[in-house]
Amino acid sequence: MATVSMAEAAPSSVTVVGPPRKRVPLGRFALYLVLTVAGLIAVLPFLWMLFGSFKTGQELRSIPPTFWPETWTLDNYRTILGDPDLPLLTFYGNSFFVAIMNVLIGVFVASLLGFIFAKYTFSWRQPLFWYLLALMMVPPSVLMIPNYLILKELGLLNNLWGLIITVIVDPFAVFVMRQFIVALPNEQLESARIDGASEWRIYRSVVLPQVKPALATLGLLTFMFNWNAYLWPLVVLTETEKRTLPVILTAYSTQHTAQLNLVMAASVLIVVPVLIFFLFTQRWIVAGLTLTGGK
Amino acid sequence: MAIETAERDRTAEPKRARSSRSLDAPQRHFRWIVLAPTLGYLAFFTLLPLVWVVALSLFNYSPRRNGSSVGGLGGDNPFVGLQNFQQLFDFSGQSQLSQTFQTSVIVTLIFAFIVLPLNLLITLPLAVMIEAAARRLRPFLRTIFFMPVLTSAVAVAVIWQYVLHPQYGLANSLIGKLTGETTIISWLNDSSMSVLGVPVALIAVTMAYLWMDIGYNLVIFIAALQGLPKSLTEASLLDGANAWQRFRYVTLPLLKPTILLTAVLTMISSFQAFDLFQVMTAGGPDNQTRVLSLDIYENAFRFQSMGWAAAESLVLLAIVLLITLAQSRLLRSKWTY
Repeated sequence: MATVSMAEAAPSSVTVVGPPRKRVPLGRFALYLVLTVAGLIAVLPFLWMLFGSFKTGQELRSIPPTFWPETWTLDNYRTILGDPDLPLLTFYGNSFFVAIMNVLIGVFVASLLGFIFAKYTFSWRQPLFWYLLALMMVPPSVLMIPNYLILKELGLLNNLWGLIITVIVDPFAVFVMRQFIVALPNEQLESARIDGASEWRIYRSVVLPQVKPALATLGLLTFMFNWNAYLWPLVVLTETEKRTLPVILTAYSTQHTAQLNLVMAASVLIVVPVLIFFLFTQRWIVAGLTLTGGK
Repeated sequence: MAIETAERDRTAEPKRARSSRSLDAPQRHFRWIVLAPTLGYLAFFTLLPLVWVVALSLFNYSPRRNGSSVGGLGGDNPFVGLQNFQQLFDFSGQSQLSQTFQTSVIVTLIFAFIVLPLNLLITLPLAVMIEAAARRLRPFLRTIFFMPVLTSAVAVAVIWQYVLHPQYGLANSLIGKLTGETTIISWLNDSSMSVLGVPVALIAVTMAYLWMDIGYNLVIFIAALQGLPKSLTEASLLDGANAWQRFRYVTLPLLKPTILLTAVLTMISSFQAFDLFQVMTAGGPDNQTRVLSLDIYENAFRFQSMGWAAAESLVLLAIVLLITLAQSRLLRSKWTY
């Protein structure tokens, strides 16, 4: 009862699917006001970083702080790019190598296993699939310690391959690929078999072309997760030269706490290029994230 | 009864036989070529670590010491049975390690139980509002809130350290402008400040976490809203329901399964939060922001007490499994419409 009377007192500030005729202007105004404030909260930290990176060290330390830089300077970027202790290109290369290898290997393996799980019958298929699903629940911190010891035995600590070899079979990706491939009609596969196509050929020429959107989505998600990964690279890579971007950003920021202008310039250089790439491809990333509600 | 099962068996039998026979030689061959390395891989990189972590939790193991047998266990890394677990739940307060662990569990619980309701209370209305905004604005709004999700957590942490900086930060400067007084809150370092019993440092990291995480649930809710049958909301419109009534009695019940699933996923990932805490506060001040994952990481790799850390990580696993179990119970009950 109380909710109804409250709803009558405060008319439609929220319109679910609104037909144009019954709109209350005040409600629209409130709606856009809330959205603007929320949007500002979402954007301000980014702007704070961006503007901070163009301020001089002196201006950044002024109290009260300025928002818009009074004097724009590129010195911070010059310092960062000229810093011999911070070979950004090397770190970009490391991050890129790990992310791309994981995308290529991960998507290949997931599609192949997805095909097997979707279109082949064997007595232990179900238990194996359940095992993979169960693996998705295991927190990374649980496997991190033994995996570290395994990499140590294999001599793969401080080696970028250590970040690749441990995640070759991604249960989430296998699960997604299976869902897509299971929907393909069996008759197609059968007729390809009758035409004499090998199983490998069927995978490559019948299955893969039809699940291209899923491959693209998974590839992007894998790239993003690897690009942004922190904990595992932090554990595996202890030599500076071998590190990936997130690990190097923390190291740089703890070394330069007094020079936030430099730290912000480094953040911009590390965040913005890929953020732009992700923004252009976000349609597929969103599709992937909402697909199964899985992370 | 007996006849029935026998009959079922007879019908089931030939089917299974046929299906495995219908896989002719090339198919069986291909299946093995794919599955043999997969099984080997899964055994070595998933099953072995699972067994190993359980084994480690039963030893007083440190990679610094030499063991006498497989995997450096035994010898200087003695078998201690369930002692690690007993010590984890030793509430006498004598052991520093146990106290830190217990603190970290409490911090993690507080964090997770703050994040969940706040996240849902922000994302659900925000999703409805974005869907109510002009069609042309929607992609733009969604992008704005989704940007932090695309950003690496480390960068988010570094940006927020600057936003929350006591002297040069945006947060204090905005608060100062609103209240008209110079505000110097050491968001990340002051162990004496708390709001409703929650340390201000934990609140600060929670803010950054929410800022980073909101876009994720937001796109899920937006997708769910777009998937709702239009006929139902239109019918309620004809019945003269206002916006709030439509949300409360039509949209909300329809979204219930999505909300439940999202709630569980949010919960599970907040139990595993690490990046922001490690970068922003490193657990400080006074362990007020030491979450479980951070404690596990520090014990394993900074102090190299991997047996202890392994036992801790199994507790984390148990918590996550409990939530997952509770979730499947909830989801299986009558929430389908």
